[in-house]
Amino acid sequence: MATVTTKVSAADRPPWLDAAIVQSVALLVAAGVALLAGSLIAVGYGANPLDVYGAIIEYAFRDATSFGAVLATATPLIFSALALAVCFKGGLFNIGVEGQFLFAMVTATWAALSLDFMPGGLHLLAVLLAAMVGGMVFASVPAVLKVKTGAHEVVTTIMMNGIAVSMVAWALNGPLKLTSLPTGTNADLRSDIFEDSALVPRLGAGLGIEDSAQLSWLFPIAIVAAVAVWFLIKRMRLGYEARAVGASPGSAKAGGIEIGSVQIKLFLISGALAGLVGMQQLLVERGSLVQNYQALLGFTGIAVAFLARNNPIGIIFAAFVWAVLSRGDTAVQLQAGLPREFVIILQGILILSVVIVYEIAARRLTYRQLQREVDATDAEAPSDLAATGGTA
Amino acid sequence: MFGDLGAAIQIALTYFTILYLTGLGGLFSERSGIVNIGLEGLMVIGTVTGAFGAVYFTDDLGLGVPVGPMLGLLLGMLCGAAFASVHALATITFRVDQIVSGVVINLVAVGLARFLSSVFFGQATQSDPGGPHLALIDIPLLSALPAGFGRAFEDLSPVVIVAALAVLPASYALNRTRWGLRLRSAGENPEATRSLGVRVAPLRWQGVLISGALAGLAGAYLSVEVVNNWREGQTLGLGFIALAALILSNWNPVRLIGAAFLFGFAIAIPRRLADLPGIELLPPQIIRMTPYIVTIVVLAGFVGKVRPPAAAGRAYEGGGAL
Repeated sequence: MATVTTKVSAADRPPWLDAAIVQSVALLVAAGVALLAGSLIAVGYGANPLDVYGAIIEYAFRDATSFGAVLATATPLIFSALALAVCFKGGLFNIGVEGQFLFAMVTATWAALSLDFMPGGLHLLAVLLAAMVGGMVFASVPAVLKVKTGAHEVVTTIMMNGIAVSMVAWALNGPLKLTSLPTGTNADLRSDIFEDSALVPRLGAGLGIEDSAQLSWLFPIAIVAAVAVWFLIKRMRLGYEARAVGASPGSAKAGGIEIGSVQIKLFLISGALAGLVGMQQLLVERGSLVQNYQALLGFTGIAVAFLARNNPIGIIFAAFVWAVLSRGDTAVQLQAGLPREFVIILQGILILSVVIVYEIAARRLTYRQLQREVDATDAEAPSDLAATGGTA
Repeated sequence: MFGDLGAAIQIALTYFTILYLTGLGGLFSERSGIVNIGLEGLMVIGTVTGAFGAVYFTDDLGLGVPVGPMLGLLLGMLCGAAFASVHALATITFRVDQIVSGVVINLVAVGLARFLSSVFFGQATQSDPGGPHLALIDIPLLSALPAGFGRAFEDLSPVVIVAALAVLPASYALNRTRWGLRLRSAGENPEATRSLGVRVAPLRWQGVLISGALAGLAGAYLSVEVVNNWREGQTLGLGFIALAALILSNWNPVRLIGAAFLFGFAIAIPRRLADLPGIELLPPQIIRMTPYIVTIVVLAGFVGKVRPPAAAGRAYEGGGAL
C-alpha cells in the first residue's frame, strides 16, 4: 500500500487544489512519456533528440510569419475541439464534427457562389452563417435521433461522417461543379472560385506577418468562440444544466432538467462551431471547394480537446501546441534528418499517454474524494469503499 | 445484362471479404465487452504492413509466390493484432473510455501508416504498384453457372474463400465452446463472469486481439490482393462500413454474412450496374451512402431492433482486471 502516505497528506488539501495538482502532474507525466518515446525514435535514427525538438520549436518561432502560420494552423483545431468540448460537457460524444464540417463546407460554398450579389461584408457574413447552419443541420440528425429514439450518438455520427464524404463528392460532381475554368488553372474536380467578397480578410500585415502565413481574422474569431464557450459552460443556465446532465443524467432529471432539450441544444451549438472548422481552408487558403480538401480536422479536434481536458481556454493552448508540432515536420526532415512523419508519431504517442495518464489521475481523484467523504461521515466500513473501486 | 450482374457480384464478393473479416473481428471484440470503433485504423495498419510483407518475402527474400504473399497477409494480421493491443492495454488494463481509445487508434493509425511507409518504401503515401499477389482462382461448379452468373465466381483471391468459410469456425467457437460462452458472458455481465471464477480481462484481451488480427488481414487483403500496392487512404472508410454491417447483423456471425454482402453489393452497384433503369437516375455518390443510411434507420428502431452486448462499452471495475 504505497498510496497510504500520499493519501494522508492529500486529504489535508482542499479538493480543488488537489485536483489542480493531480491534473498538472498528469499532464507533465504524459508529455514526459511522449518526449521520452520520441527521443528513443530519434536516437534510433542516429539523431540527437534535443536537436529534433529544438528544430521543431525554432521553426515555429523564428520569425513573425512562421508564428502566424502556427496560429493559422491552430485556428480550425480550436473550432473543432470546442465543438467536441461543448458536447462532452453534457456527456455527449460528437464524433461527427468531421462530417459536420464537411457538410458545412458544401453549404458555405453554395452561399459563396449564389449570394455573390451581396456587398462585401454582408456576403462573408452570409457565407459564415451558411456554414454554421450547415453544421447545425447535420448535427441535428444524430441529436434528434438520440433524444427521440435513443440511437447512440457515437454510432450515428460515425455514419453521418460517411454520408458527408459522399455528400461533398456528390456536390462537386453536381450542383457545385466547376462551370468556368479561369486561365492558368488546371481542371481538378472543384467548385468555381469565390468572389473576393466571400473571403476572410488576412491579418497581421502590420505585425510583419506575410500573407503566406495564411493568418486571417478567423483566428481572433476562434479565440472569441473559446471565451464564449467558457462563458456558456461556466456562467449560463444551459452550461449548468449541461454539466448536471453530464455528471449524472438521473440526478439532473430529478432536479427538473429536461435532458432531451439540453442535449439537442448542445448538439446544435457543437454543429455551429463545427461548421467553422472548414472555413480556414475554404475562405482563406483555397477560395473554392476542392476535391482534395484537408480532411481529419474533426478527428484531430478530438485529440486537442482531450489534451485540454475539454477546458475551452485550455483548448487554445492545446491547439497551439498541436500546431507547433504539425508545422515542425519540415524542420524535422530538413534539420534533423528524420522522416517528417516523426511528428505525427510524436502526436500519436502524446495523445495516447494523455488519455491513459488522465484516466489514472481521474481515478485517483475519485478515490480520494470517496476517502474524504468516508472520513467526513466517519464511516464504519472501509471495505465497502474498496469494492466500489478505483484502487488503481 | 446478367453478365453485368455477375461482374457486380464478383466485385461485391471482394468488398464482402473486407467487410466480413473486419466485421467478424469487431464482433469478437464487442461480444467480449470492448467496443472497437478503431477497426478502420487497424485495417490501415494491415494494408501498409501487408503490402510491405508481400514484397519483402516474395522479392527481397526470394520466397516467390504463393509463399511470399501468404506471409505478407500473415504479417498484416500480426501487426493488426499488435496495434490492437494498444486498444486492449488502454481500455482493459487502464480502463480508458473505449470510444476515446478507438478514436485515438484511428487517429494514430493514419500517422503510423505514413511513418511505416516512409521507412518501408521510402515514400509516405504509396508503394510501387503491381506488387506480388496470390494466383486468382475460379471456384469449381459455381464459375460454370449459366447466364453470366458464372462470372461472379471467376478470378477470385483465395482469401475470399477463407472469408466465406470463416463463419463456420467463428460460429462454432462463439456458440459451441466453453471459451465462446465465457467470452460472451464477459460482454454481457462481467461481474457474474468473475463470480464464477473466470477472469474477465484475459477474455477481453483475446477478443480485442482477434479483432486486430482479422481487421489486419482484411487490410492486407485489400492492399496485397485487390489493389496490389499500398496507397494512403485506400481503406476508404470500409472499417466504418464494417462497423455498420456488424450493427445490422445484431452481432451475429451468420447474419453478418448477409449484412456484409448487402453493403458490398451496394458499393459494387455504381461500378458495374450504373446503366440499369432506375440506377442511372441515382448519382453513384448517393448509392455510396446507403450502408450508412440503412444503419442509422435500423439504429433508430424504424426497422427491426438491434441489441448490443449488454456490457459492451463499460469497463470491468472488479478485482482481477489487471
